[in-house]
Amino acid sequence: MIKLNGLSGGYTQPPTVNGLDLEINKGEFFTLLGPNGSGKTTLFKLITGQLPISEGEVYIDGKNLATLSNIEKAKLMAVLTQENKVAFDYTVEEIVSLGRYPHQKGIFKNLTKKDLAVIEEVMELTNISDFRKTPFRRMSGGEKQRVLLAKALAQEPEILLLDEPTNHLDIKHIFQMLDLLKKRQENFDLTVFAILHDLNIASLYADRIAFLHNGSILEVGDVGILRKEDKLKMVYDVELKSRAHPTLPKPQLIMTPDYSVSRTMDFSKSYRIKQTEEYIHVEFNQHLRTISNGVIGEGIQWLKHFCNFHVSKDYNSSEPKEDLQSWMTKHSIPPEQAVGMMTAVELEDAVFLEEEIEGIPMMAVVTAGTGNAVDITNELNRGVIQTVGTINIFLFINAHFSDGALVNGIISATEAKVKALQDLKIKDIHSNTIATGTSTDAILLGLTQQGEKTPYAGSGTTVGKGIGQIVYRATKKAIKKYLHRVYEGNWRQ
Amino acid sequence: MQSLYIRKFLTNKIRWLYVFSGGLVLCTALFALLISSVQVPVSTILHIIMDKTFSMGWLNDIARNEEMIIWNIRLPRVILAFCVGASLALAGAAFQGLLRNPLADPYTIGVSSGAALGAVVVLFFQITIIGFGSFTLPVVSIIGGFAALLVVFGLVRLSSRSLSIETLILAGIIVSAFIGAVVSLIISLSDRDSMTQIIYWLYGSVGMRGWSHIQLILPFMVIGTIILFYHYRELNALALGEDAAENIGVDVRRGKTFILIGASLLTGAAVAVSGSIGFVGLVIPHLVRLVTGPNHRHVLPISMLVGGAFLILADLLSRTIIAPKELPIGVITALIGSPVFALLLIRERIGRRG
Repeated sequence: MIKLNGLSGGYTQPPTVNGLDLEINKGEFFTLLGPNGSGKTTLFKLITGQLPISEGEVYIDGKNLATLSNIEKAKLMAVLTQENKVAFDYTVEEIVSLGRYPHQKGIFKNLTKKDLAVIEEVMELTNISDFRKTPFRRMSGGEKQRVLLAKALAQEPEILLLDEPTNHLDIKHIFQMLDLLKKRQENFDLTVFAILHDLNIASLYADRIAFLHNGSILEVGDVGILRKEDKLKMVYDVELKSRAHPTLPKPQLIMTPDYSVSRTMDFSKSYRIKQTEEYIHVEFNQHLRTISNGVIGEGIQWLKHFCNFHVSKDYNSSEPKEDLQSWMTKHSIPPEQAVGMMTAVELEDAVFLEEEIEGIPMMAVVTAGTGNAVDITNELNRGVIQTVGTINIFLFINAHFSDGALVNGIISATEAKVKALQDLKIKDIHSNTIATGTSTDAILLGLTQQGEKTPYAGSGTTVGKGIGQIVYRATKKAIKKYLHRVYEGNWRQ
Repeated sequence: MQSLYIRKFLTNKIRWLYVFSGGLVLCTALFALLISSVQVPVSTILHIIMDKTFSMGWLNDIARNEEMIIWNIRLPRVILAFCVGASLALAGAAFQGLLRNPLADPYTIGVSSGAALGAVVVLFFQITIIGFGSFTLPVVSIIGGFAALLVVFGLVRLSSRSLSIETLILAGIIVSAFIGAVVSLIISLSDRDSMTQIIYWLYGSVGMRGWSHIQLILPFMVIGTIILFYHYRELNALALGEDAAENIGVDVRRGKTFILIGASLLTGAAVAVSGSIGFVGLVIPHLVRLVTGPNHRHVLPISMLVGGAFLILADLLSRTIIAPKELPIGVITALIGSPVFALLLIRERIGRRG
C-alpha cells in the first residue's frame, strides 16, 4: 500500500531520512519506533508531501506520490497528529465536516446527503455524537483526539497515518482510541501507519514494527523483534528487558534506570516472625525477589510479607484466594505485597531453621503433613484431594538470583523435599510406594538480591547444595513432628 | 429525530440572520436617505430611486432640487458607505480567518498604509494625472496599496519558504510602520492647508464622493468578494493549522495567496475611496461570529451585510451629531465600536464561565 524506495529528505545535512526502503501492506497496522530525532516525523512529512523529497520515491497504492494532487492524496490518506489547536469556536460537527473537504464537488461545495451520512457514521463510531454542538475548544484532550480521529475517518481514507496521536492521553483514552482504530483497521481493511512512543503499546497493537535509527530502518518484522534487546538498546540507549505479557503472546519491555538505590541489609535482622495458632507471618523490611506457587503471590514477584494460614481439615472453598485476602486484611497484612499459603497442619509444629551454609545465610520455614502423600509416578489417578496433609516450604536466601536461578532453586528445594520423604519412608497409601510429595505442596523462594548475581542454583552449585541441605533438614524435622503428633494422638485414643 | 429538528432549527436561524441583516441594510439606507437638513418624504425618495434606476421619466412632479439631493448627493453617499463597510468587514473576517488571529483586521498586513501613502502623496504634491481629474487620488491610492502588498509578499518570500503566517504578520507590521513614518514625515513637511486636508482624509469619510467613486470601488469589491466566498472552505480548514489543512487536501499555499489577494483588493479599494476607517473590519466579524458561529460560509456574507449597514449608520451619525459640521467617520466607528467590543468581550468571558 505504501512503498518507499531509497527515500531521502529533510532539511539537515546529511538528510534526516537517508536512503530508506520500506513496504507497508494493505490492511496492516504498521508501527514505526525510534527515539526523538531519529527521523520519524520527517519520514511522515515526506510521505504526506509536506517536506520535499530529495531522493527516491514514495508509492501510494501503486501511484507515485509526486503525481498526486493534494485532493487525491487526501482521499487516499488521512493524518492524525498530536496537534489539536483549533482557532475560533468551531463545533465538533463542523470540525468533523472538514474531513469531507477532498470529496466535495461543485461550485458551492455544499455537504451532500452522502457527506452527512459519513459524518454521522464516524461521529457515532468515535462516540462523539452527543457533543456535536459543543465547541471543540471546550473538550478534554481525549475527546478532542476522538474528534480529530473522526475528522480523519470522514476522509474515508485507505491509509491512516498516526503521528504519536496518543501522546498526551491517559491510558484509558489511549486504549479506547487504539481499540477503535484496530477495529476499524480489521473491519474496513484500513492500513494504519503509526508512530508510537510507547514500546509496550506498540507491541500490543502493531502487526509489524520497524526500528528507525539515524534515518534508516534498522530492523523490520512482527512484534517478535521487540525481543531483540540488543537492537533496542542500540536504538534507545536504555537498559531494557523483554518479558512476556501475562495473558497475551506479546513481548513487553521493562526498562531499568541508570540510577539505583543501594540495598544493604543484615539478613538475620531483616525479618520478623509472628506465629499464632491461626497463622505464621514472616515480614521482611525490604522487598524480596520471590518465586512461588502460593495461592496469593504466584509467579515471580517482589514481595515482603509471607504467610501460612491454618485451615480446618475439611476446609473446601471455591474461593481460597478471596478467603486468604480477607484473612490477611484482618491481620493488617497487605495481600498485594504478600505470598499466602494454607495448611491443615497444626502451626505449632512448624519448623524454623536459620543457617549459614557455605557463607550464604538462609532461613527456612516448613509446615508438613503427609496424609495426602502421593507418588507422582504412580499411574493410579484418584483425582485431587483437598484435605489434610500439605508440605509448605518458605525458603529465604541472602543471595542474588537471575530468573533462571530462581527456577533452579525450586528444583533444588523440591529434590531435597523428595529426599526427605524417601528417607522417612513416607508412602503413598494407595500404591504403597515411597511418596514424592503431597497433592497440594506449595513452595516459596525469597531472595534478597544482594551480592553478585548468580545465574545457576542447581545441585552443581554451592547455593544449590545449600538449598538442598536446609530444605532437607527442615522438611525432615517438620514431618517428624507431624508423625509424632499423629502417632501420639493414636496412642492416646 | 431530535438532531434533525435541531438542524432544521439552525438552518432556519441562519436564514433568519440573512433576512435580518438584509433588512438592516435596507432600513439604515432608507433612514440615512431620510434624515438630513432638507426633509424629503419617504414616498418621494422611493419614487426618485425607482424612477432613476429604471429611467421611466416620471419625474415631472418632483422638485428638481429634491431629485438632485437624493440622487446625486445622498444616495451615492449611502451606497459608498455600504460598499466601504461591506468591503472592510469582509476583508477583516477573511484576514482573521487566514491569520488565525481574532485581533487581525484589514490593516494588519500593510495594504491600507500603502493606499494611504498614495493618497497623501497626491494631496501633498497636489498632483493631477491628466484625464483623471479628481479621480487621481483614489487611483494613485489603489496603486499604492498594491505596491505595499507586493513589498509585503516580497519580504515574506525572501524570509520564509512557506508563506508562513508569522512572517506575514511581521512583514505587514514592518511595512506599515515604515509607510506610517513616511506619511508622518510628509505631514510634518506640509503647509497648514494640505496638513488639514491630509489629516481629514486619513480620518476617513464617505461624503462628497459621488457616483464615480462607487464605480471605482465596485469592480474591486465584486472580484474580491467572489474570490473570498469561493475560498470559505479553505478559511475553515485553516483553523486547524496549515499542516492539518494540507492533510485534508487543501492546497494551502494557493488558498492563502488567493485569500490574501481577495482581501487586499477589498481593503485597498475601500481605503482609496474613503480613507482609513478603523474598527469596522475588526469588530463586525467578531460580532457576527458570536451569532453565526465561526463557519466562514456564513461569517463572510453576514459580515458584509452588517458591516455595510454599520457604516451607513456611522456615516449618518457623523453628519448629524454636530450638523451642519461633519465628524470624521473613523471617530464614530471607534466611538461606537470600542464600547461594543468591550461589552462583547466581557459577555463572552462571563458566558464561558457559566
